[in-house]
Amino acid sequence: MNRAPLIFLGIFFTLAFSWTGIILTNQLTYGKLEPIVDQTENKSYPEALPGLAAQGKLVYQDLGCIYCHSQQVRRPGFGADDKRGWGDRQSVARDYIREGRVLLGTMRTGPDLRNIGARQASRDWHMLHLYDPQITSKGSIMAPFPFLFETHKIVGQPSPKAIKLPAPYTAVPGYEVVPTPRAEALVAYLQSLKDSYAYPETRNVFVEPASAGKMEDKQ
Amino acid sequence: MSAVDPQDKNPKIEQAGASDESIQQVHSILLREKPEPEENHSPMPLFLLGFISAMVLMVAIYFVHNSGGLSQSFSFKQAAMVYDERFDPKNAPSAGAEVKIDPLALGKKNYASVCAACHQPNGLGVPGVYPPLAKSEWVTGSEERIIRILLHGLQGPIKVEGKEYNSAMPAIGPGGYNFSDERIAAVLTYIRQEWGNSAPAVTKEKVTEIRTKAAAGRTTAWTSAELDAIP
Amino acid sequence: MASVPNLAASFDPATSPDLVKRAELSEIDASTKVPALFFLGSAVLWLLVGTAFALISSFKLHTPNYFGDIEWLTFGRTRTAHLNAVIYGWSVNAAFAVAFWLMARLSRSVLRHSGLLMIAGAFWNIGVTIGIIGILTGDSTSIEWLEMPPYATPLLFVAYALIGAWALITFRFGKSGHIYVSQWYLLAALFWFPWLYSIAQIMLILEPARGTVQALVNWWFAHNVLGLWFTPIGLAAVYYFLPKVLGKPIHSYYLSILGFWSLALFYNWAGVHHLIGGPVPAWVLSAGIAASFMMAIPVIVTGINHHMTMVGSFSALKYSPTLRFIVFGAVSYTITSLIGSLMADRQVNEVVHFTHFTVAHAHQGMYAFFTMVMFGSIYYILPRILLKEWPSAMLISVHFWTVAVGITVYVVGLSIGGIKQGLEMNNADIPFLSTTAASVVTNTIPYLLSRSLSGVLMTIGHMAFAVNISWMLLRPRAPQATTPTLFQNPPEMEVAR
Repeated sequence: MNRAPLIFLGIFFTLAFSWTGIILTNQLTYGKLEPIVDQTENKSYPEALPGLAAQGKLVYQDLGCIYCHSQQVRRPGFGADDKRGWGDRQSVARDYIREGRVLLGTMRTGPDLRNIGARQASRDWHMLHLYDPQITSKGSIMAPFPFLFETHKIVGQPSPKAIKLPAPYTAVPGYEVVPTPRAEALVAYLQSLKDSYAYPETRNVFVEPASAGKMEDKQ
Repeated sequence: MSAVDPQDKNPKIEQAGASDESIQQVHSILLREKPEPEENHSPMPLFLLGFISAMVLMVAIYFVHNSGGLSQSFSFKQAAMVYDERFDPKNAPSAGAEVKIDPLALGKKNYASVCAACHQPNGLGVPGVYPPLAKSEWVTGSEERIIRILLHGLQGPIKVEGKEYNSAMPAIGPGGYNFSDERIAAVLTYIRQEWGNSAPAVTKEKVTEIRTKAAAGRTTAWTSAELDAIP
Repeated sequence: MASVPNLAASFDPATSPDLVKRAELSEIDASTKVPALFFLGSAVLWLLVGTAFALISSFKLHTPNYFGDIEWLTFGRTRTAHLNAVIYGWSVNAAFAVAFWLMARLSRSVLRHSGLLMIAGAFWNIGVTIGIIGILTGDSTSIEWLEMPPYATPLLFVAYALIGAWALITFRFGKSGHIYVSQWYLLAALFWFPWLYSIAQIMLILEPARGTVQALVNWWFAHNVLGLWFTPIGLAAVYYFLPKVLGKPIHSYYLSILGFWSLALFYNWAGVHHLIGGPVPAWVLSAGIAASFMMAIPVIVTGINHHMTMVGSFSALKYSPTLRFIVFGAVSYTITSLIGSLMADRQVNEVVHFTHFTVAHAHQGMYAFFTMVMFGSIYYILPRILLKEWPSAMLISVHFWTVAVGITVYVVGLSIGGIKQGLEMNNADIPFLSTTAASVVTNTIPYLLSRSLSGVLMTIGHMAFAVNISWMLLRPRAPQATTPTLFQNPPEMEVAR
């Protein structure tokens, strides 16, 4: 008896089942999620990435930052994301709808970066950290990115963009270290990363049925 | 079980296989191998059936209890907006429930989030770049000055514990990180009481007072010299 | 249960009752020679390339300034080049070769249209080469498991379309009426992979879905590449070589059926467990977790089936290289899958997610299971298509022990390190990075060093393997009947390999 057609049907339907459940259902239920317009601020959230930051995201992708840094905050109480200050609330799907490529990541060899723009706004810090993480974060195992910088001979006025390297990292006297446009873009992207807005769905969290009474008991 | 016997269908191979002695030598590797695999029909052990039934039951219960509202509302559209598997639409949290937060815990969290990148988790800073906070006279000294530094930032050279530093610190208050007065007070209370520091707590009201009265209208970062003039 | 001496006697060439079937097999094997050699050769080259990138990446993670100023060797790129070289280079090429050889033998039909396969193989390998160069020069898409830039993927598509067409033709012309369990797995894998790959390409790169639907597509794809492509091909090989080498039937046809269909039903829902805690609907995650738990069924069923087949023949592990690699792989499959089910539990996942534990787990699946099974298969297939013996039993032994010890050190070290990392990461009192106190990052470094050590061991093994293969290819065929290259000669001349 040739059971090939039956086997074939079976292998077709099993994959069709998960494709429908995981992909099609979710594409239909929230694949067209819209930004929320806040009337009081007259702004829509999430905000679009500024142009330079969008270029920086491409640098983030091409250097493979995603393999050590996640961009998703777990809810308070699940892991220590909130206690470490990586974000106050669970990341929700709407946070990502403006992103052409979603870079959630699955590793935290380094810290989560979903709110790095809110946590570290300083351009100078990011520049030093990218040039050599050992300057700002001794003991870090992050790769240095010296190739995002150029060492120039100072001609006339020193460049205002040059980074201020501490000893022993300082350039040879008469030279300065200047970020390339890629470094500027990458830092702009990092500075833009923040999920500040509290969408209605961020309140869909679990509460103990008799929460008020129980919380007082604990304290 | 093979349904077709090759001997009926392929006499050429039969001849080749049976007659040519040299094939036996060259193909000794093939000839020594064992027959093509077959299957026995040993019955399935009974305990497997029990195990599978138990798994199905357990997993079904698990899903119903952790469906993030799906098993209560039966609406995929609503359930798509739920990220907490224990969420129950009947017990949605009320909006007004304010939770009292310990300022030290709030301060620690915000310090870890924002400040530790430069001043380090141990408060020792980075030699030559970012000044230490542990045992720093600026941190444990006048709250007037340190509140101003957080509100508007600091620029230019500054001497901490006898060493010179020259990096810019961004404003943590309005226009910079936009911390609320409560968060600023919490961070200050934390750094004034951590790493062996023991200075009094900073209140939210004191921060508000400096922001709205004593330093009202200020938008630029402070310098060390300006702060020295403040008690 | 037949004992080893009996089996040996029953297959003595002089008394063999099924000489004709052997002649037929010999014709089939000969027809697979050129494409199988081509795919296996490419696979081994990619294995060496992938190993080199693995070592560089591993060193860079504890010594970040090693090659720190060379842009194309930055960690984010070498790690990605490693993944793509070992997955699309080594594993897929090896899987193709083993799948073709098994398909041809099991459907008892000579391999037709091998030209089609050669063209497909050329497209595939050129595509992978371009893709990896693209990754190294900065065109990575940063979509996990799909990093190859869009200009490389059409080549892979063409290759796969040709292979799919070929597989259908071969199956269609098969002579064997009975469909052996390995064939179910092969058929399913060859059908599932293009579906997964094209949906992923469409919904992630051509017409990207909005927001985190992308993440669902990504992990539906990436996990299913393991579960619905590599796993079925690995299991097909185990189901073929275990009974083949032992000369015994598979324990139970019913268990085979149950194992196959439960895998088909549950595995493809499991992938979303990579997103636990993330911004995707909780119900999808719970469904994925439920499916991951249910994966215990096919794994235990398949494990019992393999184990019961082995029972009584464990002594053969002393002699047969193929069997030793295959059994190592099959045991790893059971262990790694059960750990995988456990990892999907939310409480466990809360700790191990985002840590090196997941890296250990991925290598346990792809290496300790799949790659070991492929090694075992190659040790069986090559002598049959080349009609030569392996030149050195010593090199096979070096290969086995270095990679077996290497992957064990790798998995154990990174698993312990990963659990520690996860527990510390979830305790906000321990700083993430600090030079003066114990911190999450600095505490992982000893485990990252153990990984580099295991990497060196595995590299030695891969070199021994490559040397043995090259030697085999270069040396002339023996004019008279030969004896198999075994780890040691059994008391009676053992026939299995």
